[in-house]
Amino acid sequence: MEFTREIYWNVGHGWTTLAPMYGLLLVALAVFDLGMYKRLKVYRLGHPLDRTDQRGERFRFLVDNVLLQAKVLRVPGAGSAHALFFWSFFVLVIGTSLIVIQADFTDLFFGIKFLKGTFYKLFSLTLDLAGLVAILMLGGLMVRRYLIRPEGLVTKGDDALMHGLLLAILITGFLIEGARMAVTEMGTPLAPWSPVGWGIAALLTAMDEASLRTLHAGLWWVHLLLALGFIAVIPFSKFRHIVTTSANYFFADRGPTGKLTTVNLEDENTEKFGANQVTDLSWKDIFDADACTLCKRCQDRCPASLTGKPLSPMQVVNQIGEVAFADPATNLIDTVGREAIWACTTCRACQDICPASIEHVGKIVEMRRNLVLMEGEFPGEEVMTAMEQTEVNGNPLGMGYASRGDWAEPLGVKPLADDPEVDVLYFVGCYASFDKRNIAVATSFIKLCQAAGIKVGILGKEEKCCGEPMRKMGNEYLYQTLAMEMVEVIKGYGVKQIVTTCPHCFNTLAKDYRDFDFDVEVVPHAVFLDRLTAAGKLPIKAEPFTCTYHDSCYLGRHNDIYDVPRKLVRAAGGHITEMAKNRDQAFCCSAGGGRIMAEEKLGERINIKRVQMAVATGTGQLLANCPFCLTMFEDGVKGADVEEQLRPRDIAEVLAERLASTNA
Amino acid sequence: MNILICIKQVPDMESKFKINGEGTWYDRADLAWRMNEYDEYAVEQAVRLKEQVKDADLTVLCIGPDQVTETMKKALAMGCDRGVHIADADSAKREPVEIAAMIAGFAKEKNFDMIFTGMQSQDRGSAQVGVMVAELLGIPAVTTIVDFVYDNGAIQVKRELEGGSKAVVTATTPVLLTCQLGLNTPRYPTLPNIMKAKKKELLTMAPDTGGTGSRQEIASCSFPEKKGGGLVLEGDVAELADKLIQLLKEKTTVLA
Repeated sequence: MEFTREIYWNVGHGWTTLAPMYGLLLVALAVFDLGMYKRLKVYRLGHPLDRTDQRGERFRFLVDNVLLQAKVLRVPGAGSAHALFFWSFFVLVIGTSLIVIQADFTDLFFGIKFLKGTFYKLFSLTLDLAGLVAILMLGGLMVRRYLIRPEGLVTKGDDALMHGLLLAILITGFLIEGARMAVTEMGTPLAPWSPVGWGIAALLTAMDEASLRTLHAGLWWVHLLLALGFIAVIPFSKFRHIVTTSANYFFADRGPTGKLTTVNLEDENTEKFGANQVTDLSWKDIFDADACTLCKRCQDRCPASLTGKPLSPMQVVNQIGEVAFADPATNLIDTVGREAIWACTTCRACQDICPASIEHVGKIVEMRRNLVLMEGEFPGEEVMTAMEQTEVNGNPLGMGYASRGDWAEPLGVKPLADDPEVDVLYFVGCYASFDKRNIAVATSFIKLCQAAGIKVGILGKEEKCCGEPMRKMGNEYLYQTLAMEMVEVIKGYGVKQIVTTCPHCFNTLAKDYRDFDFDVEVVPHAVFLDRLTAAGKLPIKAEPFTCTYHDSCYLGRHNDIYDVPRKLVRAAGGHITEMAKNRDQAFCCSAGGGRIMAEEKLGERINIKRVQMAVATGTGQLLANCPFCLTMFEDGVKGADVEEQLRPRDIAEVLAERLASTNA
Repeated sequence: MNILICIKQVPDMESKFKINGEGTWYDRADLAWRMNEYDEYAVEQAVRLKEQVKDADLTVLCIGPDQVTETMKKALAMGCDRGVHIADADSAKREPVEIAAMIAGFAKEKNFDMIFTGMQSQDRGSAQVGVMVAELLGIPAVTTIVDFVYDNGAIQVKRELEGGSKAVVTATTPVLLTCQLGLNTPRYPTLPNIMKAKKKELLTMAPDTGGTGSRQEIASCSFPEKKGGGLVLEGDVAELADKLIQLLKEKTTVLA
């Protein structure tokens, strides 16, 4: 016998079926379009932003994340369940489409049937199992949401609608299959190819054929209405993430990672800077709110959220959406709250993990820009003082600018003004220039360079802060003033390569300065030292030690540099015991986003929390690659009272200690 | 209301100070410059007053070389309406009465209702210029104010006195007020105001002391001599006690 089945069995294939079916489909699609169009109008409240360049890459990213669920799968458990549900439901949608294509197109017009034979058997089995997987995953996700109730998970009526509708579609699908099979397939060799349907049919055989046919026809229409209802309700429910989140992969920020938009300060017609209304943001910022599924992955990783500060990246994103759809004239800063806005460390943990490619950090910085540039507001007087100090002395510490290069004198390192013939310019940064603890790091780095025969120059008193903390704190004007001055000074010396010991300087010079026509190669010290090691230029004598390693946000998540520093630690003889939160999941030290200039007044201290994670490794040593991290850890070990148990150090210090010459 | 604010550009106190070649004042090289802290309070108070009464015109005056206009721009960005720069490259050599004469010379015909200035400068610290200006103009001066209330023509201020006590003083215009730490927190200029400040009127005038000459000059200037610092004793408590007694016997007369 030919393995196949009669499509439209029992419901008929005449106009009495097709006309209402396609009529209702058109209604569903019309409702969908209207709903999406209304939302589109709200997205357009934002100002223009081109997110349609690099279409090939954008499309590939969309495929990776929709079809392969790449970002969703980064978090096992709920993420895996979502992916399995998506795949199985996707298979069901394709299967249903194939039926429609054969019945109402290829067979109707050309007499071609492809749902037969072995293909039909496999088709039948695949769809049957897909339905089973979908129900199991949905069930699992419902147990998680309604019984386990993970902390922070926001559950609304929307979620009940989603779960209920999907479950009803899946269950009616199986019941229809069961009723049909009970009449047509029981005892045939085809039945085992739909195992779930077979089982349901076996339960239904107690009913007589007429009742089965009535049940089947009735459920068929219910199933159809549910499926069409699903389409119609997409724009009005959380289902819209099927459209918006998918589209957001296409519109995602394509980098450079963490580079902020540069405000045009020259334009004399600009009367407002930053954002205190949704209309000051881009359309993508409003669209992001619609792409958010409230999965709370951002909130679960936000160092501010986790230490009791009133910031949830998820909430900020959604508040923007709520204001945009309710009353766009509302003051956004009042809605989000100043304490939330100032609490962000720009660590990117939220943005990195977001399975919907939402950009949280830029929104917060736009609101900060408004507070600083339009209101002269800061999180505290100490931050305003640091800004003023930077204006006067070029560093937030308020140290006299002329002594910036003093630390390097005993090492024989000269400013380029005195000797411009160097292999590399070391952009020292404020902390390594003035802070005693970080001068020790700079000194170690110079010793390593000298041992490798590299001639290093500095800018000395010509160097100023790169502007990163000020920029992240919202002071775009001060940042641009500093950036333009630094670009001019560095370019004036025709420098070929710059090395930094501060990832904040690195990220700023390598990415943000590009907007000022600056294209000198910039290398973080870990990478620079690794290259020297690889070239056999660094005479390091490995000596075994144990440690843990902290990925700074600006070397890690902002630049994906995870392996190189670890390789260096191993080269020095180090054995790393990782903290629970490491690499792209690393927990911020608290000093990013300009917070290095601010006092942490709310909640628990972030740095103490991180130091405790390091203590838990029992290694006794916490290696860092960033002066801000090191400063926060030195402070953290005192605050956590673990000075005897944990020694924070920079990688360069450990390496310098193992220079063959010093051991000889 | 016509208001004058007198400000001075001073080196940042964190700077690396060196004595100049003549040995009479600090060398200007390698210094970072900023507005005298007390003058910032003066500017802030004047701007707040304008915000309160709306109808006021704020003139900021500064004496010094061309570079002081940078500091004046901050005052303009904070909210002053116009600037008067008395271009005097030698201002650092002038004694307070000459500076006061220059200011009074400018202010004489202008009929300012109120003059705000810092209670002293961070570099010279004479605390004389403000009161001398008032004297030369024949108007009252209230010094070291830490609180200021203006209500429909009546001025009430608090002056800082010795030992933490304060005096409440009332005054009417015209009056000169010198401002002390604690009066207010100077604002951070907003970007639109920084932009606007670039276009505000900034008049440059030649220095004119009106015949008041220098009657004193700095003979020499030096850093305080380093006198022996503190001594930290470390070690066992019993030994420490012995060491201390020995030191007290040798270096002091307390045990004699």
